[in-house]
Amino acid sequence: MPGNKQCVAMLLAGGQGTRLGVLTKEVAKPAVPFGGKYRIIDFTLSNTINSDIDTIGVLTQYQPFELNQYIGNGQPWDFDRLEGGAFVLPPYQTAKSGEWYKGTANAIFQNINFLDRYSPQYVLILSGDHIYKMNYSKMLKEHISKGADCTIAVLNVPLEEASRFGIMSADKDGRIKEFEEKPKKPKSNKASMGIYIFTWAKLKEYLIKDEEDKTSSNDFGKNIIPNMLKDGQKMYTYDFSGYWKDVGTISSLWEANMDLLKPESGLNLYDRSWIIYARNAAEPPHYAGPDSHLFNSVVSEGGEINGEIYNSVISTGVIVEKGAKIYDSVIMPNSIIRAGTEVRHAIVGWGAEIMENCKIGENQLCATAGEWKIAVIGPRTQVLKGTIVAAGEMVGN
Amino acid sequence: MNNKMMAVLFASGNENKFNDLTIHRTTTSMPFGGRYRLIDFSLSSFVNSGVTRIGIITRNNYSSLMDHIRMGRDWDLNRKNSGIAVFPPFVLNTSKEVYKGKIEALYTILDFIEKAPEDYVIISNGNVAANIDFSKVLENHISSGADLTILCHKAQCVNSSKRVIVAKDESGTVTDMYSVEVPSSDYKMVSLSIYVVSKEIIMKWVEQAYARGLVDFETDILFKEVPQKKLNAYEIKDYAAIVDDVKTYYAESMRLLDISIREQLFGGERKIFTKVKDSVPTMYGEKALVKNSLIADGCTINGIVENSILFRNVKVAEGAIIKDCIIMEDGIVMDGSQLSYVITDKKVTVKENRELKGFSTYPIVVVKNKTV
Repeated sequence: MPGNKQCVAMLLAGGQGTRLGVLTKEVAKPAVPFGGKYRIIDFTLSNTINSDIDTIGVLTQYQPFELNQYIGNGQPWDFDRLEGGAFVLPPYQTAKSGEWYKGTANAIFQNINFLDRYSPQYVLILSGDHIYKMNYSKMLKEHISKGADCTIAVLNVPLEEASRFGIMSADKDGRIKEFEEKPKKPKSNKASMGIYIFTWAKLKEYLIKDEEDKTSSNDFGKNIIPNMLKDGQKMYTYDFSGYWKDVGTISSLWEANMDLLKPESGLNLYDRSWIIYARNAAEPPHYAGPDSHLFNSVVSEGGEINGEIYNSVISTGVIVEKGAKIYDSVIMPNSIIRAGTEVRHAIVGWGAEIMENCKIGENQLCATAGEWKIAVIGPRTQVLKGTIVAAGEMVGN
Repeated sequence: MNNKMMAVLFASGNENKFNDLTIHRTTTSMPFGGRYRLIDFSLSSFVNSGVTRIGIITRNNYSSLMDHIRMGRDWDLNRKNSGIAVFPPFVLNTSKEVYKGKIEALYTILDFIEKAPEDYVIISNGNVAANIDFSKVLENHISSGADLTILCHKAQCVNSSKRVIVAKDESGTVTDMYSVEVPSSDYKMVSLSIYVVSKEIIMKWVEQAYARGLVDFETDILFKEVPQKKLNAYEIKDYAAIVDDVKTYYAESMRLLDISIREQLFGGERKIFTKVKDSVPTMYGEKALVKNSLIADGCTINGIVENSILFRNVKVAEGAIIKDCIIMEDGIVMDGSQLSYVITDKKVTVKENRELKGFSTYPIVVVKNKTV
């Protein structure tokens, strides 16, 4: 029998991420490459193990194969444990029923048996599409010391942006008084980060009740949390400060990558006390050729760089030929940029090949920050010689 | 089990010829190619050829090697029924001193070889950087009908290290073998000191030679076998480097700046694996100017780097100039420093405005953990 775990993490990685368009056509959003050598999910997985939580269920549904293969036995994140570790949990059939995950809460409901095997006192609910570094064990400590039933991590956002988030109103002790999903007139600037700690016995009770309610959409934000609040359960906010970004859209994914180039953004991967782990590709160091010019850029291993790179993120195994120019762009793993091609304000998907003399993205050299639109080339897409892809355009197979 | 070959790797050799680079390590754990150690090329070649039972014979300074290999997981060698076995000296109760030569070393592990289910053994020096498909070597060995196959390559004998020259006829049969210690710029067929041999024969030879008090595998066994025409030579045509002193270390490292060499060593399906260190990608600053260089992950570069190899986590400050250098892991080169033809070992710091100049045939070596 598996041992007792104080806290088990459940990572919701089932979302399709439609707003990422061609990038999530074949893979789930958490499996999308980030920052040269990572996948989006690496941040959450690494945060979990760095917080001394060694058992995690990864709930997948949409395009699960890539994630399945990527996570494997969890070894790159040190999740290959005798007891516990990383488990990929797709929906499954039982004798009585079997269905897709209907909502975030239903996904956990369907895995009550998995959780009960570890008899956890607490369950940490995470989502797999955020870029941030966070010590969940501090949040758990607060949850325990306050004797809370539910603790929700919140971030102070500018009031004018607050209507994009789930907003918590809390008293001075952090006890949540009100929760509003995307309010038109926000009463506070404490935005939910989609990170919850529940006392397991309490959550289980609410999951079962919620499942019986046929009108429920089985969602944490829409059902479970409002119901618990209505019943007067002890719910607290946990204030997080630091870098955090939801990379659910093309522009936020691009921005988060660009934040790696700015130390002032707060996204610092060089801190060896909080390593972000990834499944490593066995690639040699990258080569910067005699005609290369690399300016304020991040470059990963395995690349052959002979062109000019400005303010860009160049991932593992990328080839940039002589005479190619890349500005303010994210080039994902193993793609090829041929000679004479110019790429500006773009995301080039993994394994794409852009042939000679193309112009990808913003053509106005002096477009001001925030005004351009990001061009996207889909994964494994070949862009023919001399093609012009306009700013904001999305090209893919 | 379908694996037909096992391997025995010698971790030590020529440590006295690396100036200060092998004070803390064996030859086979020499850092090479920006993120590897020499042993990675041997282990990866083995694994990619389906060889998963590997014995490593060490002599001295083997703690850095043990730290690098751990359980062998990074090479997919954490197996239940095979994997890596490290043999420190004094394997036998009767050992009074460290083994004198390969014959004695092999004799002490005959038990390991005998118990293994594989029919053939690869015996390899640990100082070779090459990507070798041993399944092709074995095919050639079997079809040649020889007792033992010697892997060799065409190379110059650039230094005074003892190199073994192999003469062969068209069919690959070895006609002569001798060692040279005089440098020469002629291209000759040079032994890589990697052999493929059947288990039965190696056990017989080693037992007989040990009983007669013989020491050296090459001179005492192989050279004497040549007249009996049982030896087969297999030429490695892709890049293969014997690294046996500072000069060859530097020259063979710098050959990696040539893309065709990199393709031979790293290209294709047979990947070279190494210990995973979870470094972040390298960051180039606004003042970085890097030409013709190999750069590993985790570096932050804001100075000038030309014709050089930077290992993981090297920091080059604005105003620093590095030309024709090898900077190993965790090196720091501060503002205004100028280095040319310098090899800095791991964790070396070069402070502001220092100047160090070596020469292509005599690069300066800065010892591990030192500050200039």
